[in-house]
Amino acid sequence: MEYPLTRLDEKILSLKKASKKALVAYLVAGDPDLDSTLELMHGFVDAGVDILEVGVPFTDPIAEGPIIQAAHDRALRNNTSLTKIFGLVKKFRKNNVDTPVILMGYINTFLANIKALEESYVSGSDAVLIVDIPGESDLKNIGIKNTNLASISLIAPTTSKERISKICDNSSGFIYYVTLRGVTGSSNLNISEAESNINYIRSQTSLPVFAGFGIKTPDDASSLSKISDGVVIGSSLVEMINKHSRKKEFKKIYNYLNEISEAISL
Amino acid sequence: MDNLTNLPNSDGFFGEYGGKFVPETLMHALKELDETYSKLKNNPKFIEEIDQDLVQFVGRPSPLYFAKRLTDHYSGPQIWLKREDLNHTGAHKINNTVGQILLAKAMGKKRIIAETGAGQHGVATATVAARLGLECHIYMGAKDVERQSLNVYRIKLLGAEVHAVDSGTATLKDALNEAMRDWVTNIEDTYYIIGSVTGPHPYPMIVRDFNAIVGRELRKQSIEQFSQHPDAIIACVGGGSNAMGIFYPFLEESNVELVGVEAAGSGLMSGKHAAPLNDGEPGILHGAKSYLMQDENGQVIDTHSVSAGLDYPGVGPEHSNLKDSGRANYIAVDDKEVLDSFHLVTRLEGIMPALETAHAFAALDHIAKNYTSNQHIVINVSGRGDKDINTVATMDGISLD
Repeated sequence: MEYPLTRLDEKILSLKKASKKALVAYLVAGDPDLDSTLELMHGFVDAGVDILEVGVPFTDPIAEGPIIQAAHDRALRNNTSLTKIFGLVKKFRKNNVDTPVILMGYINTFLANIKALEESYVSGSDAVLIVDIPGESDLKNIGIKNTNLASISLIAPTTSKERISKICDNSSGFIYYVTLRGVTGSSNLNISEAESNINYIRSQTSLPVFAGFGIKTPDDASSLSKISDGVVIGSSLVEMINKHSRKKEFKKIYNYLNEISEAISL
Repeated sequence: MDNLTNLPNSDGFFGEYGGKFVPETLMHALKELDETYSKLKNNPKFIEEIDQDLVQFVGRPSPLYFAKRLTDHYSGPQIWLKREDLNHTGAHKINNTVGQILLAKAMGKKRIIAETGAGQHGVATATVAARLGLECHIYMGAKDVERQSLNVYRIKLLGAEVHAVDSGTATLKDALNEAMRDWVTNIEDTYYIIGSVTGPHPYPMIVRDFNAIVGRELRKQSIEQFSQHPDAIIACVGGGSNAMGIFYPFLEESNVELVGVEAAGSGLMSGKHAAPLNDGEPGILHGAKSYLMQDENGQVIDTHSVSAGLDYPGVGPEHSNLKDSGRANYIAVDDKEVLDSFHLVTRLEGIMPALETAHAFAALDHIAKNYTSNQHIVINVSGRGDKDINTVATMDGISLD
């Protein structure tokens, strides 16, 4: 039986056809408010972003460094719930039907909204990236039955070879390689280690491998894009959003994304 | 009833609770720890080394003491006290750290981290790290640093660094978040000594096993001192390590009633408490599925308890399973009952319990009437109360300055 291609599959296929590296951008929904998030999502796409990773705020985000933790706190002070985020994605889809949207967050908030989550594909969400579940676990086994949502898994420098193949077998969309030992926004990037690990992952799967955690400058992005199929930018964007959100001067953020986008297409 | 003693299963589940819900970077370290522990736990040399430390360094076995005046006060069952407060460093927490530091040594880790609420686990960790000359970092909520200043100073005297955590609610759960972030970052050379039967597998099992010495001693002492097993055992429950340690060797003795006591804070009805087993829902926090204080969106709720060691929104997964299976009962007592009980025990028995432990004593007001004078209730006196005298004075409206 053949399945129709999903929005995420289509995007990855078109990037591959064009021999283009993917630019994935992360922001926290509701930071500083949902209207700004919607504006930023469209702005990101116009600035060259291929895939959007929308952070679902949680009170206890143990994989996040101080910058993204603070963004989660700000979003929670606005009572940003997963249900409201589904509404945000639905609004985004009114003007954008081809940029994949990945919901990134922690298992407890997803489980608390399981019914709405299972319906979220209909309103335009494409995948979940749940930071705190073992990568080899099937979403069905942890209570998420909607198979229309792709499940993006993380592989870390510490992941054993045995588990890498299990995680690859159980993933769809792409593999997210964590480039460092640490929380988001750290600065101990190790390119040569990343290269050999990404090469190994590629030997185990036909899925593209994107690299993230700790990418700050266009130079970081450029060197990582050479050894992977795409890069994820998170903390540096979240920091800029916070800095510029009061006056809504998002132009600087879009310029920064433009630079990254150019750096990875060289 | 299923056999409860053979849990967790190999994936770390106690029934539907437990598991390993952590960022990917930690998965390998957890497997390594699981393998090391499985290999060492039945190794005679490892067992001998721990036993020797427990006797000569900790001062075990802790006595089982008949509380005559407390018994007279309730004029019901005989009340006996398992004196974990007499351990070196003043609480049951040292049973676990003495064991885990040997695992750290066996794994060649040079740097020790831990979280602490009341500071007892911080002191117990800094103590064993000092003894082996290992670098030690203790994470503690900024609010707890303030209300447990004596223990903070003790930890520093022992050569460990205390990191005050300002994020979130600035209490135990945030200290755990920060310790996990440290571990993710320094995974290669760092051993994380979790202080309760919480966190991802294999921690709930390891911490229980190291504390189970308390229940094993009690089995022997109760036969020796009153010729039978206790009719009931009462212990306070935050994460639940002292309770799990004393309950575990009695899980198959279905005639022994097991009572866990949670912190009702300002009262269960007020919503300002730390009693997930009484008023929470299953959820996932800090690596395990368990009962959790959370709102309808899965966000963790602020907790409140006069006792820093119980001021935690989650609880060990094994307790969640014991609750659902009906093997243990979990009740909650509020801050006022706890303070009254603290004074009562101090005056009647000359024993000043930790505010955490005072929760177990306060449960006597609810439980003692169910038993008669030829029956025996054992209270696990998990820790001593010296660390809490500032808090008690404040609650009593007395200035110590």
